[in-house]
Amino acid sequence: MSIIQTTHLYHRFADDTQGLCDVSLAFNEGEFTVIAGANGSGKTTLLRHLNGLLLPESGAVTVCGKSVEEDPMAARQQVGMVFQDADSQIVGETVYDDAAFGPENLALGRLQINRRVTRALEAVDLCGFENKRPHHLSGGEKRRLAIAGVLAMAPRVLLMDEPFSNLDYPATCLVLDQILNLHSNGHTIIITTHDLEKVVAHAQRLVVMADGRVVEDGLPTEVIDGVARYGIRPPCSVQLGKGIRPWMS
Amino acid sequence: MDELSTIGFAPGQSPLHQLDPRTKQALLMGLSAISPWGRLTFLVSLSVVILLSFRAAGIRLSRLIGDIRYFLLFLLFVFVVRTVTFSGGWIPNISVELAGEALMVCWRLLMVVSMGALLMATTRAADIRAALVWYLKPIPVVDEKMAATMVGLVVRFLPVILFQAAEISDAQRARGIERRKNPLSRLMIFSLPLFRRVFLSADELVAAMQARCYSEHRTLPDLSFSRHDGLAIGAGILISLTVLFP
Repeated sequence: MSIIQTTHLYHRFADDTQGLCDVSLAFNEGEFTVIAGANGSGKTTLLRHLNGLLLPESGAVTVCGKSVEEDPMAARQQVGMVFQDADSQIVGETVYDDAAFGPENLALGRLQINRRVTRALEAVDLCGFENKRPHHLSGGEKRRLAIAGVLAMAPRVLLMDEPFSNLDYPATCLVLDQILNLHSNGHTIIITTHDLEKVVAHAQRLVVMADGRVVEDGLPTEVIDGVARYGIRPPCSVQLGKGIRPWMS
Repeated sequence: MDELSTIGFAPGQSPLHQLDPRTKQALLMGLSAISPWGRLTFLVSLSVVILLSFRAAGIRLSRLIGDIRYFLLFLLFVFVVRTVTFSGGWIPNISVELAGEALMVCWRLLMVVSMGALLMATTRAADIRAALVWYLKPIPVVDEKMAATMVGLVVRFLPVILFQAAEISDAQRARGIERRKNPLSRLMIFSLPLFRRVFLSADELVAAMQARCYSEHRTLPDLSFSRHDGLAIGAGILISLTVLFP
């Protein structure tokens, strides 16, 4: 069953650049999708349409069968988004405050907020960090806090915009490990990236975008061979002719 | 961001951290309101209490001075303007009496800013916002939630703006900005990228808040007065009474 559906989506920016052009996609519940594309291909623009942060020039987006344009707040409860720059997403002065920001916006009771925050911080291995200042965390910890802030809202879908950018190797491993855990717990995961190496082995579907259009969509094993012509570097194992191999042992 | 801990919130367990934010705001507003009438006794008492509070909250004075250095320059400017007079020509005339008065004015302003820094360093923005909603609620024409949100955002954003300003300044010094002697040109070169970054960050922050369903009708922190608040108010009244002494 499709949890998110876009139909003939078009988006044009204020400077008249075409951001999206006739994008029709359906994302199934529990699916792990990677959206790949070069810089400026429309990946982030598409993500921002899926929870109503941007509204289309024409076309429609539905989440759980409801139009995002008519009720963006309902869509945002179901579809959590982790931004590329974790610093811009952090609004709380402590780790606890930031994780509690979403549940507080949903006007939940204090007890329920505390429960959700504890669970979300446990899920990303940040227990004991509650009173730390977010800006003193490492890059990987900030990214995990950003994920916790979204998890605390109990969404069904997690959108992640370039979740591995600016992370070192151990931090990337931790974030990837937690993404895989969330997927195995039943979350629908949609990740955008221009670097397929780390994540494509775990994805069930690979969507390739170029110039605001979907140019490839299918199983990663079927799509991966042609990604280089869209400015995306294929994983090393693919270049060596060994097919898609997990990046993390 | 380490350099901004005086103006931004620093988690802790000091007595000031544990006070109800409404008490801290009441003390800030009350003591600031009567400070124009305060003389030496009032200012010395207040200064001692503020210094002890900074120490208890674990905030280094050198850090505070660094953070408010531009305000200190402004105070120096105020002091000079109020002290130096030109009577009948271009020769400046410095009066000890005027200097004493100017010192008092600058001291009062410094106390108000220091109390504000203490409030921000020991109170979460969410608590400041909740306290403001509580204070503004009885006023019929004011949308208390909107006003409190605006103040909360300013408190949240101020350290970010200072951080970005410091980064831009460092980047420009790394490329020899000091060699440009025209202060107006330097100001333009500094302020244009700063404004650009601040507006971009504001846009990103708004998107991030919207993505997490931000609304004015959100759960506010639980506020409760305790015995400590009573003691703090009592101390504030005692300090206020020193305004009666020269």
